Amino acid sequence: MHHYVTQGYVLPNQAHLYWTTMIALYPYITGIVAGAFIISSLYHVFDKEELKPVSRFSMLMALAFLLFATVPLLMHLGHPERAFSIMFTPNPTSATAVFGFIYSTYLCILSVEIWLVYRADIAYLSHNARSAPMRALYWVLALGVTEVSDAARRLDRRVMIFLAAIGIPAAVFLHGYVGFLFGAVKADPYWASPLMPVIFILSAIVSGIAMVIVCYTVVQWAKGRAVDMKCTQSLMEYAWYFLIIDVSIEALELVNHAYMANEDWRILRQLIMTRLWTSMFIFQVLLGSVIPLLLFGAVTVFKDRIAAGTRQAIGLIGGLLLLVQVAAMRWNVVIGGQMYSKSLRGFIDFHVDFGGQEGILAVLAVFSLPFLTLFAFSRVLPLWGSLATFPKQWLKDDAADIGAQDH
Amino acid sequence: MTTPTREELSRRAFLRKCAEQGSATFVFGGMVLTTAMLRLPQEGVPGEPPPKAGKKHPEVIYGFVVDTTKCIGCGSCVRACKAENNVPDGYNRTWVEQYTFYPNGEVVVNSPKGGEDGFSDDFPDSNQPGEIGQRPDRGFFVPKLCNHCIDTPCIQVCPVGASYRTEEGVVLVDAERCIGCGYCVQSCPFGSRYLHPVTKTADKCTWCYHRITKGLKPACVEYCPAKARIFGNVSDPNSEISHILATNRVQVLKSYLGTNPRTRYIGLDSEVI
Amino acid sequence: MGHAKHFVRLFGVLAVVVITFLAVRAQAVPKDYGTLGRFRASAITDAKKREPRHIGSEACSDCHDKINKSWAAGKHHTPQCENCHGPGMLHVKVMSEDSVDAYPDQIKKNPKALRVTSGIQECEWCHFKTFERPSVLKSISNVKEHITKTGGTYTAKSKCTDCHDPHTTVTKK
Repeated sequence: MHHYVTQGYVLPNQAHLYWTTMIALYPYITGIVAGAFIISSLYHVFDKEELKPVSRFSMLMALAFLLFATVPLLMHLGHPERAFSIMFTPNPTSATAVFGFIYSTYLCILSVEIWLVYRADIAYLSHNARSAPMRALYWVLALGVTEVSDAARRLDRRVMIFLAAIGIPAAVFLHGYVGFLFGAVKADPYWASPLMPVIFILSAIVSGIAMVIVCYTVVQWAKGRAVDMKCTQSLMEYAWYFLIIDVSIEALELVNHAYMANEDWRILRQLIMTRLWTSMFIFQVLLGSVIPLLLFGAVTVFKDRIAAGTRQAIGLIGGLLLLVQVAAMRWNVVIGGQMYSKSLRGFIDFHVDFGGQEGILAVLAVFSLPFLTLFAFSRVLPLWGSLATFPKQWLKDDAADIGAQDH
Repeated sequence: MTTPTREELSRRAFLRKCAEQGSATFVFGGMVLTTAMLRLPQEGVPGEPPPKAGKKHPEVIYGFVVDTTKCIGCGSCVRACKAENNVPDGYNRTWVEQYTFYPNGEVVVNSPKGGEDGFSDDFPDSNQPGEIGQRPDRGFFVPKLCNHCIDTPCIQVCPVGASYRTEEGVVLVDAERCIGCGYCVQSCPFGSRYLHPVTKTADKCTWCYHRITKGLKPACVEYCPAKARIFGNVSDPNSEISHILATNRVQVLKSYLGTNPRTRYIGLDSEVI
Repeated sequence: MGHAKHFVRLFGVLAVVVITFLAVRAQAVPKDYGTLGRFRASAITDAKKREPRHIGSEACSDCHDKINKSWAAGKHHTPQCENCHGPGMLHVKVMSEDSVDAYPDQIKKNPKALRVTSGIQECEWCHFKTFERPSVLKSISNVKEHITKTGGTYTAKSKCTDCHDPHTTVTKK
């Protein structure tokens, strides 16, 4: 159990928080999905060639995070074994009930799109992988269709663009919906705001792009491969554009609360100025917004005039800071929104535990699952683009020419 | 500028006459109509939304009135509720709030253990006076419970249909189907709901549904020695509660949120949120 | 359409998933779900089933007739038996030797299954002065002061019920 200290008058049933770390982690994970997917779509739909190096990786990243988006939810449910009821008997007036359907639709779109992107590779590997079990696995992944004709490839390409095109609104909807979950709770004036979905989408895109920058840079450095500067530059510019809008809307939302100064503002102001001061003004605003805005702003303005190595470092640091910003934002919204009582007269302090089902350790464990999955993906599919990057030792000695399969 | 001719004058007079007669007819007609409407049998139940086309109001619609002017803050309701419903420690289906006003404008609200052990002057909680160093100049108690709202957000947000409303207007939780997501707890503006620490499902005041359907009163109503809680059938115009609702000015909590509570209050102060 | 063979198989996989989902759903949804609204209709019957724990003063008089009569005739009948003595359902069961297996903890702690009254706390609830309390009740703010003022001797064991009969409010002695 987390520790709770209450001050002032707190309604008897509000002596502790009902939604804690797992509910803050959930929008963080889905946010990364949305952002990573937008990056891959910029290449696949909008033909942003410079993003090719990360186009496949960001897709798989979206899938890896999406697969575990439900885990924090299940960990916090009182009865996870009844979770499927939200799809068996969905209440049409419930925003939460929509989740099952949006989630599974989006999971289908994303999986099929990835399947189409990788189908030629999978077909090739079903013939050329070194071990028989792996060949069997690829055969299953290919659904038994191991020959890819030019006509099939053209069809795949058309379907893929179509899926990516409906995938963008689906990704935006999936995450906007998460914002709606909070924004539509009129009982909590700190949450209740029509801007909430917008803020969630924008911060989601920022966190997804940041995660792609960080992972790309770290992997390339670790593998001793060159970082494609065009790609990193473009990612940082996109991050900067989205961050500007994100920060502006977040600030507007807060200013709007303050300016309207409804009866709830007295306690919200106290909440922000005392209990959320560090997580909001230090982490979310200063470290997470101001510094990355300056860093990526400089990169966007000066471009090549900054050395490539410096820009890579800026990408890594700025990306990490953006991940901190969005994590802080999730914390401030989800936890912050419950740190004052609906009596508007008291506070519930929240001190997160280390162990336990919703402790820091559990959060880290859940958050590491997508990365482990990405690692598992890297054993099966070439993460970073064509088969040329696929380890040679996993192919048969007499494997057909890789180049012929590349597209 | 020409002087008006006879003809014109007579037309003006005619118009004036028309207007006079017309308005008299209008006023008289209006009076006849109003009287007729007053004499029409009253369809529907005061305070209730009109029934769906072609349907009538159910014969039983429960309502609850809390008369804050009568509450003595003894906590009998809280104890009765806790015992009747086996409410876990640290949670309350009903509770009593103590409001104390000081000359310097400070308002202190308190509800130790929801009022289960009653209240005293020596303020056991740390946030209480002493520090203020003044004698209070005004004070009262306010019992609270689930408002069984007509347009309740808790049923609206429940993903699986575990929160529902009976025909009599009672909002209940199906503990067999509740997944324990806590969204209803968040969406309740009044803090009436909690997640039961043992069953891990949402729990709340049921207006003692197991008692009222056996002809008994809810435990908190039955054991209130001050008659500060009135419960009954608002669909029956001759019931005690209908009489109280017809002869009192009642208010609801957080009316601006539009949840339309079926629990109404007499003597609610603006400081009660 | 040879080049679309993989899509045919993909739709096959999707169809299997959807059919499995529908089959499991058919099993998992309670039969009476949705008959009265978007909930399990029998939940209402379940909610009605529970046995009331407070039995009412009339039921108490079945065994405690004498005290019940004097209580009803006296001035102190707004609080009922169970206001001070706690809910009586279990007590009746214990005394009539009904099965109380469902409540092992309560019985172990409290064999008669009634609240143990202190003769002072029950009175405090209503009759201790509290600023916010409407002044309709006789109330005191200090037991010691009250006893000394009325000519008694205060000890640590002094109780309200030493002098006042809680059932009738008649002063003893």
